[in-house]
This record gives sequence, structure tokens and C-alpha cells, in this order.
Amino acid sequence: MRLHEYEGMDIFEKFGIPVPERGVAGTVDETLNIAEKTGYPAILKSQVLVGGRGLAGGIRPVQTPEECRTTAEALLETEIKGLPVREIMVCKKAVIERELYLGITIDGYSGRPVVVVSTEGGVHIEETARTSPDKIASFKIDPKFGFYPYQAVALLRRAGLDGKPLNACADILVRLYKVFRQYEAMIAEINPLAVLADGGLMAVDAVLEIDDSAMFRVKKMLSLSPEGRIGNRLERKGKEIGVTYVDLDGDIGLISSGAGLGMASMDIIGHGMEPANFLETGGGITADLLYKCMDLILMKPLRAVFINIYGGINPIHEGAKGIVRYIKDHGVTLPIVAKALGNHQEETWEILKSGGIHVVTEAATEKAVERLAALLNTSSPMSRS
Amino acid sequence: MSILLHDDTRVIVQGITGKIGSVQTKWMLQYGTKIVGGVTPGKGGQVVEGLPVFNYVEDAVKETGANASVFFVPAAFVLDAFFETIDAGIDFIVIVPEHIPVHDVMKMRDYADEKGITALGPTTPGILVPGKGKMGIMPASLFAPGRVGIISRSGTLSYEFAGILSEKQIGQSTVVGMGADPVVLCNLPKILAMFENDPDTDAVIIVGEVGGEQEEKAAEFIAGHMKKPVAAYIAGRFSPQGKKMGHAGAIVRGSAGTYEGKTGALREAGVTVLESPIHVHAWAEKYRLR
Repeated sequence: MRLHEYEGMDIFEKFGIPVPERGVAGTVDETLNIAEKTGYPAILKSQVLVGGRGLAGGIRPVQTPEECRTTAEALLETEIKGLPVREIMVCKKAVIERELYLGITIDGYSGRPVVVVSTEGGVHIEETARTSPDKIASFKIDPKFGFYPYQAVALLRRAGLDGKPLNACADILVRLYKVFRQYEAMIAEINPLAVLADGGLMAVDAVLEIDDSAMFRVKKMLSLSPEGRIGNRLERKGKEIGVTYVDLDGDIGLISSGAGLGMASMDIIGHGMEPANFLETGGGITADLLYKCMDLILMKPLRAVFINIYGGINPIHEGAKGIVRYIKDHGVTLPIVAKALGNHQEETWEILKSGGIHVVTEAATEKAVERLAALLNTSSPMSRS
Repeated sequence: MSILLHDDTRVIVQGITGKIGSVQTKWMLQYGTKIVGGVTPGKGGQVVEGLPVFNYVEDAVKETGANASVFFVPAAFVLDAFFETIDAGIDFIVIVPEHIPVHDVMKMRDYADEKGITALGPTTPGILVPGKGKMGIMPASLFAPGRVGIISRSGTLSYEFAGILSEKQIGQSTVVGMGADPVVLCNLPKILAMFENDPDTDAVIIVGEVGGEQEEKAAEFIAGHMKKPVAAYIAGRFSPQGKKMGHAGAIVRGSAGTYEGKTGALREAGVTVLESPIHVHAWAEKYRLR
């Protein structure tokens, strides 16, 4: 789960990382009150959980209370990359001499935390990584050994940092690793770490994404705002019922029992048709869960439904009962194609057929997509090898 | 022969008394797997599917001579149980559960590497040797004995490929699920090396997906160390890019992780890239695989 910038800053502050004086506003009046306290010129930062906020116009400097009012009004009515701005973080505009980048994430292949630093931070950091790799340095941490200031200094020097900010910056990096560990983060990032006119350092942004699977341990340390945390209404609903749901633009509803199978289904459907969503159940299928999955994908208009499930750990015959119960309760007449294989497959087919579902018993998803295309009179070229 | 799961593999099931653990134990036994007992703390002395249940792995190993274990343990307890299992002398472990905290998995990976044991998962369907046995949850009906090795990052797609091959009477030597988590306990090249050295495997299929850099590292390994034909399918070509959360990963990995990056690296290493799963038929035909 990604935290809002201000939530991340509260945590950074607790760990001794210098952050600006700030406040969070949900209305125009609150924005003005906070700016009055922190001082002008101020910065208004939209609190939306998406990268590239600044380039999308979500971060705005204001010089006067009048400008603050009109800007806050505008921001609270905009959407940034599809997400409504519900809260604004307000802080005094810092006089920045130079921008550094500090980030820690997980390197999947080595199975270790990796620290990445750059002497050219800011919104174009990924471009810097491509064009001037010498301005970037990274280091994999041995978690059993830990991460010490001398290692942070060596890493920052490799990226070309020297002089006065070096030791203070190394200190911040070690503190950032403590946050990363304690909050079981997937990513902890400061971009930029500002070098101020007086030579001091300040984290003027905070990215902290916590491992969802660790939330049972981490949540007691958090006080979170409940509003607008992830995606749209349907994606939040998916989270509520315990499945992965990603909303897409097409009109073919998709239910799969694994992420890989779901992605492959999307790839195959994508030749000629457009998936309306990605829904992956994971290993917890019950009749009730698939009833709710049907309800979720049918919350928007669809042309057809495609179901692709395997009975390994999942009792798919139970799942099938939920699907058919939903069809009967709601009088669903859309074409539905299902491929369901594995344990209890024959029983599953019988149940699905009793709900009027077109059941495909071959192993290849391409064959099932062909059936779907035939029902909808579109062509699907992928099964020709 | 096969890889990892052999005639002398003696398996315990951890979490055997749970709902999933007990059902899957029955199916593993029905498939011919040599299961010798189970472990659930506090349930020692019970009997499940005719097998003795122990409180501690150490006792199970002493009493049954077990040398492998498959986990159906709740995610929050996996870390402790994993260390216990390694310290009890077990050297092959399959971690089926999903949603294990990644910071735990990093510790597990570190310990597994230090002790030189092999573990699959987390979030893996396990391993299946057609006609011989299985550790995990793979649905037996889709598999057939033969000489093609499959290694998959996705559980359900490993079933899909086995099923597609079996329909054309092309059997499998061993089917391995690596696990779907960002950090897994055994990386792809290590499994490829086992298949390359397995006299009963003629060719290998990699079932990968976008994200991470397993396939890129596999491509390096294949170019340097493999003679057997390899085909690869990468799921997620048309997946929407995940909502981006930070820069660190993108900076470290560059083009690694994308569909184009992965298929490019694999092609360069001489791997046949399958555009769609069903194209595996044509590949198997070309190499006359059975």
C-alpha cells in the first residue's frame, strides 16, 4: 500500500529525517489557514497516489493568499491521472540550490534491498539514469550485516557527491533504511532531497509503499486517512472482496484464477477484442467469492464474460455454483464462455452448463477465446501457429 | 530420473491438519508421492490420511527419515517454520502459501542460500513428476509422462502448458513452479541447470511473465551453458503498466522487466519465443518431442 506524501513525511520526521513544516487541507479555507502559518511563498501539493504529479500540474507554487485561494479551488476540482484531488499538502517554498535522489527498493533477483542514489534528483531522474549513468550509484544491502554510514558515504561518493552535504546525506540515507526495514517497505524514496541555500538538507517529497502482505504487522504503527487510497470504485470493491481487480477500457469481462493465466488471457483476447478488466481470484475461491466477482465485473456494461479457472488449490466446482447462482438471481443473458480444468472438472462443467454457460474443455485458452469470438462474430487469429 | 523430486524423496506435509493441507495430502498420496508424515504444532499424535502428525519437524525427521517438506502453513508463521525445517536437516522445501511478507522472504532466501538447500516458492503450485509424484497443488489430470521440462513463474500457466502438451501426447519430465512473488527462493538459472543435466529431459519450456529480471538472467545462462532446445512464453504483453510508485526499480533495471526486453534477450540466446501458448505445438513438432 502506497502512503500519501504527508503520511510518509510524518514517518520520516519520526526517524529524524529533516522535512518541511507542513499541514494537510481538505478545503480552501484550511489551505489558507495553513499557508498563513507556514508562510509565503508556499507550495500546494495535491495528495494523489500516482507518480508524475508535478509534471501533471498537481504541484503549484503560490505567492499570495489570493493566489493560494484560486489555486486551491482549482486543485480541489481537478483529477490527476484519473484520481480526484481530495487533500492538499501545504508547506513553505524552500530555496533549493541542488536536488539529490535517494531511493531504497527490493531487488527481486538477488533477494536483497538495493539503495539507489543520484546527484541529479528531481522529476527527470529516470531520464538521468539513461543519459548520465555516472550520476547514479546503487548498492545491495546484506540485511544481516545492516547498512552503515561508511557504506552510505562510499555510495554517495561513487555518485559524485562531495563536500559539505556528504555526511549529512549519508546520515539521512541510513535513517531511510531504518524506515524501509521497520515499515516493511517495497519502496522508500526521497526525490528530491533538497540542498538548501544555507547548506542544510531537506526531504521535500516522501514516497513510502508498504508491503500489503506485511500489513498485519505494520498497521498498528500507522494512522491512515481512509479516503481515496487506491484506484477507482471498482478497484476498491475488488480489494474489499479480496481479489485483484484492474479496471480497463474494453467490454469483455474477465475472471481468472491466477495472475499469469489472467495476463495470458488478456494477451489472447487482446487480438481482436478488448478486456474490460483484469480480475484474479488467487487461491481462495468459494461459491460466495465467485458470486461477488460476477457482481463486480457486471457493475459496468459488458458484451460478454470470459472465465478461465483451474482447480489446483481452488475448489472450482464450488466457484461454479456461485457463478450460476448469480446468473439465475440476476437473469444474466450475456454470452459467457468458461474454461475450467483440473480437480472436479467434470462436475464443474455440468454446473456451468446448467447456467447456460458455453464450456470449453480443451486445455488451450486460445480455443476458448475462439469460441468467444465466434459467439460475438469477431475474428481471433492467435490459435493459428 | 527427474529433477528435485525422486524415488527416494520422503516428504512431510507442514500444516497437514488444516483444511487445504489435509485435502492436498490425500491427492498427493493418490498420485503416488512418498508422504511419510505431517507437522502441525499442537496437533502431535493425530493421524491424517493414515500418516502420523508431529509437533516439531525435528521429531518428524527422526521418526520418518523425511528429507523434503511441503508447506501449507499460514503466511504469518512461515518464516519461523522455514528456519525450523532447514535446521532439522530437510534440504528440499516447497512453499505453497501466498501473501508471505517480502521482508520475511528475503530472510528465508538468505538462509536457504547460506545452508545450500533448495526451496521453491512462495506462491508456488509446487513440483510434479508425471506418473511418479507431486509436492504441492498441481491438478494431476493435466499432466502426462514424457521428456519435456517445464519451469513456470505462474502456477496456473504451468497447468495450461502441461495440458496443451498432454492433449497432443507430448509428455513432461518434471514440471516446476518457481513461485510468483517479487523475491523467490530459487532463481530460474538454477532450475535450468538441473534440466540441462537431467538425462530424462530433452527440451525445456520457460513460462515467464513481465516484471523482474528472471528471464533476462535465464537468457545469459542459456547462452553460456545450455545445449538443449528451450522455448519461452512471456505473459503480460498487453497488460496495463502498473501504476508507477517510485523510480528506484526503474533506475536499477532499465529495460529489464518489459515484454520487449525479455523476449529480445531470450531470442538473442537462441530461445524460441512463443507468441501464444498454443504455438508450443509447432515447437514440439520441430524438435520431435515426446
